[in-house]
Amino acid sequence: MAGRGKLIAVIGDEDTVTGFLLGGIGELNKNRHPNFLVVEKDTTINEIEDTFRSLGSLLGSVVEAKPNEHDPPLWDEIDSRQFLHRDDIGIILINQYIAEMVRHALDAHQHSIPAVLEIPSKEHPYDAAKDSILRRARGMFTAEDLR
Amino acid sequence: MAAPDLRAELDSLLLQLLGDLEELEGKRAVLNTRVEEGWLSLAKARYAMGAKSVGPLQYASHMEPQVCLHTSEAQEGLQKFKVVRAGVHTPEEVGPGEAALRRRKGPAKTPEPQSSEAPQDPLNWFGILVPHSLRQAQASFRDGLQLAADIASLQNRIDWGRNQIRGLQKKLKQLEPGAA
Repeated sequence: MAGRGKLIAVIGDEDTVTGFLLGGIGELNKNRHPNFLVVEKDTTINEIEDTFRSLGSLLGSVVEAKPNEHDPPLWDEIDSRQFLHRDDIGIILINQYIAEMVRHALDAHQHSIPAVLEIPSKEHPYDAAKDSILRRARGMFTAEDLR
Repeated sequence: MAAPDLRAELDSLLLQLLGDLEELEGKRAVLNTRVEEGWLSLAKARYAMGAKSVGPLQYASHMEPQVCLHTSEAQEGLQKFKVVRAGVHTPEEVGPGEAALRRRKGPAKTPEPQSSEAPQDPLNWFGILVPHSLRQAQASFRDGLQLAADIASLQNRIDWGRNQIRGLQKKLKQLEPGAA
């Protein structure tokens, strides 16, 4: 990837993903999984989380054992899907209402790369109070700190 | 480092942080506006082309990114993002030193091989003649990508500043444990 630069990934509703793909960020070939995920009504939270998790985590993620599944998914398949495991993604764009579904995963992501950017969706306008970055910045000042 | 110096540095970092937060808010508002304009243009394109003509069904089976991200680390932990478009050609510069007219003899005998194929414009997924609204949507989202890189840089700087401030506050407390 040297000299090629990093990718911008997007997790969002149909219009958001279509729009940003129009902007030219999409990558899809035989070897790699796509750098985008269209979240529809039947998309599960686990799928969103699996796709997102580890996009920036250098420590990797842990796949929870599911007692009902007798054939655990292949590690390589999981890793290549997960944005946080891929070291070629620089920014993840995610609709804020989807970010709310996986807020715990976002809050656990402390690395600078990839940067996670919450964007509004058609039905859910942007709410600064819910943004992980701004919440961290807001929570750093206490009355004692300002003395 | 003496306490007054630490306090001065802390004040400077706090001012920087507040400035970054204000700039972030401004850029966010512009990004949100661009994205909303993009959605509206997509809706107009869908109205012109048909309900199912602008969506995931039209995505290509093979995509190459036209836009990539370059990162640079100014200081430890401080990342800066820059959006770079693939296949951007700088225009040939004909300087004042070239007094003679350039000869136009048609294609060169040894054409330069293209170093890399330019990625296909995603507009082509939707047909040969696409409505103007789809091009407008593309322009809006392209602007949005540039803003996204700026916002990501600002967010990173805010996080970095926050960590620096916390570190300085700890040092200050160690130097002046009982200070009010």
